[in-house]
Amino acid sequence: MTGYYSSVHFSNSEQVTDSGDNLAALMQRSLNGDAQAYAELLKETARLLRPFLSRRIFASAEVDDVLQEILISIHKARHTYDGQRPYKPWMYAIAKFRLQDHLRAHYADQLRDAEDLSELEEILPDDVTETGFNYESISVEVQKLPEKQATILRLMHHEGCTSKEVAERMGMTESAVKVAAHRAYKVLRERLER
Amino acid sequence: MDNIEQLVATLSKDAKAVNPAPRPWLLGLKWLAVAAAYLLVALLITGPRPDWALQLLNPWFVAEVMLLLGILVSTAFSAAILSFPDLHQQRRAAFAPVWIFALFALALILSLYADNPPSPLPVHSFECTLSIFAFSLLPSAGIFYAMRQFASTHLHLSGIVAVLFAFSTGALWLRLHEQTDSIIHLVEWHYLPMIAVAVLGWWLGKVLLKW
Repeated sequence: MTGYYSSVHFSNSEQVTDSGDNLAALMQRSLNGDAQAYAELLKETARLLRPFLSRRIFASAEVDDVLQEILISIHKARHTYDGQRPYKPWMYAIAKFRLQDHLRAHYADQLRDAEDLSELEEILPDDVTETGFNYESISVEVQKLPEKQATILRLMHHEGCTSKEVAERMGMTESAVKVAAHRAYKVLRERLER
Repeated sequence: MDNIEQLVATLSKDAKAVNPAPRPWLLGLKWLAVAAAYLLVALLITGPRPDWALQLLNPWFVAEVMLLLGILVSTAFSAAILSFPDLHQQRRAAFAPVWIFALFALALILSLYADNPPSPLPVHSFECTLSIFAFSLLPSAGIFYAMRQFASTHLHLSGIVAVLFAFSTGALWLRLHEQTDSIIHLVEWHYLPMIAVAVLGWWLGKVLLKW
């Protein structure tokens, strides 16, 4: 799904200064074991980060996933913050790091799917490859697959969904989608090799 | 949003008092002290080069050793800064080793011109690289272990700096131990391998410093 995500850069509205807020003070109290201050800090952090992530990830379910990862990372790394320097640059550094991780995994997933499809290309007869291979050129074969497998391949290669998005749309687990797609590729390969 | 609220509740329940990490300069100083102790013990065991007192009068040797020391110090502080997600908001200091490396390269080039007639090449070659490598294994393990206690967000760069810190300890030890002054040999078998190993640090950082 090209263009699904925008790049990771700070906009002017995300100036990384504390601008008079008390996040640093809340964090300092949290480091002293104040659970209430910590809960407040995390809520405020989530409130700040949601628009930052929404501008970069357009699937709201994924925004929530990444936000949770960031909050856990902030929890794990809280000893690297001493309350003596602005909080926001520290928080955004972790947010950006986790967002990049997420985007990397997302694109790696897409690449794997594309590679599976390109494997089929290699075993197609010459005359088929010469006319230009793509999902449409084997769609007839795809339609002969069991309905679930055909839908998965259509979503992945025609609509450009990732296996995670397909899983959400079909109410399956991500690994079940991958297994089903793998089986579909295998069946297609056998049929096309004949 | 429910998931987030649930997570916030879970995390805040776990909010025990935490000791903040020491400041980077203190952390760097600690790592430097350990490296210095290791270097000193190694020199006491293996012995310094026999002509060390004479070499202290050679400005090129002194410049080279001082700059190697500079690399060790700057990489120690850079590694400490890189251990913090926000580089402790001292981004420029994290890149200090680049400038020291540039000076080091310049000093080597000038030494090469000053080495006239050229010092004879030693009979050995790759043994120096292997010695530096073996000597640097322990500092490498130590620095990566220490950096893992923090939360770097610049994994590749941290890996490179960590490896350079360890290998500059090794290079410094061999320069003070071995009686070799051929600049060509030093560049070829001491310093270029050190830079090559930094590439390994790029990968090691990603693998070992992930959190």
